[in-house]
Amino acid sequence: MDNVKKWRTPVLIVFVLLGFLISVQFHTQQIFRSDLSLQSTDDLTLIVKGLQDKRANLEKELQDLEQQQQSLNSDTANGATLQSNLTKESSQLQIALGLIPVKGPGITVAIPPDSNIVYLDLVDIVNELWASQAEAISINDQRITPWTTIYWNREKMTITVNGDDVTFPCTIKAIGNPDTLESGLQLVGGVLDNLAIYKIYPVVHRSTELTLPAAAPPVFHYLQVVPATQQ
Amino acid sequence: MWLPIIGLLVGIGLGSTLAIPIPGIYAKYLSVALLAALDSVFGGLRSIIEDKFDGTVLLTGFFSNALLAALLAYLGDRLGVDLYLAAVFVFGVRLFQNLAIIRREMLANWMQKRQLSALEGKKGG
Repeated sequence: MDNVKKWRTPVLIVFVLLGFLISVQFHTQQIFRSDLSLQSTDDLTLIVKGLQDKRANLEKELQDLEQQQQSLNSDTANGATLQSNLTKESSQLQIALGLIPVKGPGITVAIPPDSNIVYLDLVDIVNELWASQAEAISINDQRITPWTTIYWNREKMTITVNGDDVTFPCTIKAIGNPDTLESGLQLVGGVLDNLAIYKIYPVVHRSTELTLPAAAPPVFHYLQVVPATQQ
Repeated sequence: MWLPIIGLLVGIGLGSTLAIPIPGIYAKYLSVALLAALDSVFGGLRSIIEDKFDGTVLLTGFFSNALLAALLAYLGDRLGVDLYLAAVFVFGVRLFQNLAIIRREMLANWMQKRQLSALEGKKGG
């Protein structure tokens, strides 16, 4: 104890090394304590059980997600069906409204020039054609739609359809069963008989294929749809 | 007196900052080496207390014991003999012996001092 200088250096060296060894060993043990091969059987059992629970949960989640995917897939399929139905319906409505060009068998009614015809005669012919189950009608390539006007222009003394002057010879085309349409027009006391009184003799032709143009879509400024609950 | 403690702290700091990764299979040998080193250190402390200290003995003992213990444990593993256990046993027993001797010596020193001071007190009174 008296000669401190004698033992100071070796002891310092030894203690530094000892501290170094201790900390290295401590770190190593910290790392390898988490190693599975060093765990006790009880701990391993617990770990395995925990992992099994986790796995079961994940499997359940996977099942749920697969179910969800399936339902989403069927939703998509339903959506596709719905969309195709809607497209079909929309195109049918467009046909009905005369918003797209259509073709089919039917008749043409040609009114010769110099006919002493008034706009009401055109209205009569169109009405008769509708009554004879025409599916689409046009006058001189003006498609007849729910908002079509057939009138006459007082200043120019001309008949107008949708605001356009009707030029003669005037051709009325109607798609439908040609027999029905023609017989409808040629009824005794019908439109053609009435016109014959005024010496107007329209020429009726049957056609296997007529093409009718589209009408301009209607423009709405004021109307609003009534909500379904208030109907 | 504080030098060993400071040295120990410096060593610990060095080891934790460097954080040398030891592979799992060598961790066992390192632990045996550490035990041998501890034994040497306590032996050294004992020799200081007994006034028989020799720096060369301490240093050579420290290194050779640690290395030999690790080497023997490794060899034992190779040969299928648990020399590792022998090292643990021997160094463990010696460690506790050294600790006991240190304790006794310190106790004896303290008692001696107290008796001396008591005697001086009687003389003075």
